[in-house]
Amino acid sequence: MTGIRPHAKQKSGALTKAELDKKEPGLSGTFASVLILGAFIAISWIGVFVLFIARN
Amino acid sequence: MHVHRLEKIWLSIGISMLAIFLIVIAATAFGMGMSPPSEHHHTIDPTQVTTTAPFDNPGLKQTGDNRYEAVMIAYAFGYEPTTLEVPVGATIDFTVTSSDVVHGFQIVGTNVNMMIEPGEISHMSYKFDKPGEYLVLCNEYCGTGHEYMKTTIVVK
Repeated sequence: MTGIRPHAKQKSGALTKAELDKKEPGLSGTFASVLILGAFIAISWIGVFVLFIARN
Repeated sequence: MHVHRLEKIWLSIGISMLAIFLIVIAATAFGMGMSPPSEHHHTIDPTQVTTTAPFDNPGLKQTGDNRYEAVMIAYAFGYEPTTLEVPVGATIDFTVTSSDVVHGFQIVGTNVNMMIEPGEISHMSYKFDKPGEYLVLCNEYCGTGHEYMKTTIVVK
């Protein structure tokens, strides 16, 4: 069906596969989540390292 | 292959964090000698522990100025000798083995934490800067009396 008018949106309002492939993915939410996870990892690593040095 | 700008940022953060962690660990291990107890590979016949030196005479021996060697045997369910008395500020080189099964040797509140395996001799050093009574626990399951297995090091 999308072959007849390849640049048109489907009736349901969803993007066609061609349009999805061209559009840039929105990664700002993912970026924020990755940074939060990275901060958690960094803080726990530093915390354990501080304990290690203190108990030496 | 197209890598999104934000992906490049978080990938570089992740890789740099890993590099920093590894460099710090390598520096403390090789530069400051903070390495795991497995570093010195030293074996023994576990059935002959009580007759093999230095374990035929366990206990504390002075080896230098404010330096002692603590030779200990872990067994089910205790440590020999039962209590060690150490002067404050002394560095103790622990030499520990097991005469039966795998045990643990952890001085609570310190970094001394090692597995004592039959057939292997474990080495770890610690400087006791603070006086007090230090609890030594077995943290490797060794049988029905495992939870009672402990000893103390008194530092005065």
